[in-house]
Amino acid sequence: MKKLLIALTILLLTGCAMFQKPVPVKRNFPSVPTELVESCPDLKKTEPTEKLSEVLKVVVDNYGQYHECKIKVDTWVEWYNTQKNIFESVK
Amino acid sequence: MWMLSFVPDALLYAVVIGIMFSGIALYVISFFTRFIPPLIPYSGIARILGTILTVVGIYFYGSYSTEMDWRAKVEELESKVAVAEQQSKDANSKIQTVVKEKIKYVKETRVVIQEHIKTVEAKIDSMCKVAPEAVDILNEAAATPGAKK
Repeated sequence: MKKLLIALTILLLTGCAMFQKPVPVKRNFPSVPTELVESCPDLKKTEPTEKLSEVLKVVVDNYGQYHECKIKVDTWVEWYNTQKNIFESVK
Repeated sequence: MWMLSFVPDALLYAVVIGIMFSGIALYVISFFTRFIPPLIPYSGIARILGTILTVVGIYFYGSYSTEMDWRAKVEELESKVAVAEQQSKDANSKIQTVVKEKIKYVKETRVVIQEHIKTVEAKIDSMCKVAPEAVDILNEAAATPGAKK
């Protein structure tokens, strides 16, 4: 009787500790800076012209657009790495 | 079980301890009832009841401890999540400031270059005449690949 009682008590006491459940805590997905969710515009096209200066203006504009897009892409990578590190720091 | 979360911790603890010690007390008392003749018939029942109450009390105590452990874990994780969310907001704010500054610098540089072109426009145009085919090739290269024309 006593042995059965001891075994039963041990079983009851260990029962709860046998199963590891995930802790139910809600986490919000981090928001993205609005500048990064704007899509990159198409490259500008040159109007028919004989003037090299007009062509050059369009080329310069397109280079500028490329640089803006490059900044956005690089920032996306930085944003992802930063947020990933923060997310993984919570355990 | 979720209803237990509405019961104050102290009250829950008192009830659990109460059940456990009542069982132990009843079990111990059951040994002394044999010395009191009118209570002798109840000795066995008291012992069984004491045993059941003790086991149930220990079980409840285990459940209570587990519940408290979970609540502590949830609180700890919630505080960590709150810190992480604040860090995330700070990082976003920093990234937003940097990206704004960089884009502003690119736009300003573009304006400066466009102004520079205007100053040497006459010189550039007098020395070179662009063939229509060159403009077509440039536009072809600028077109988004795969886009409908």
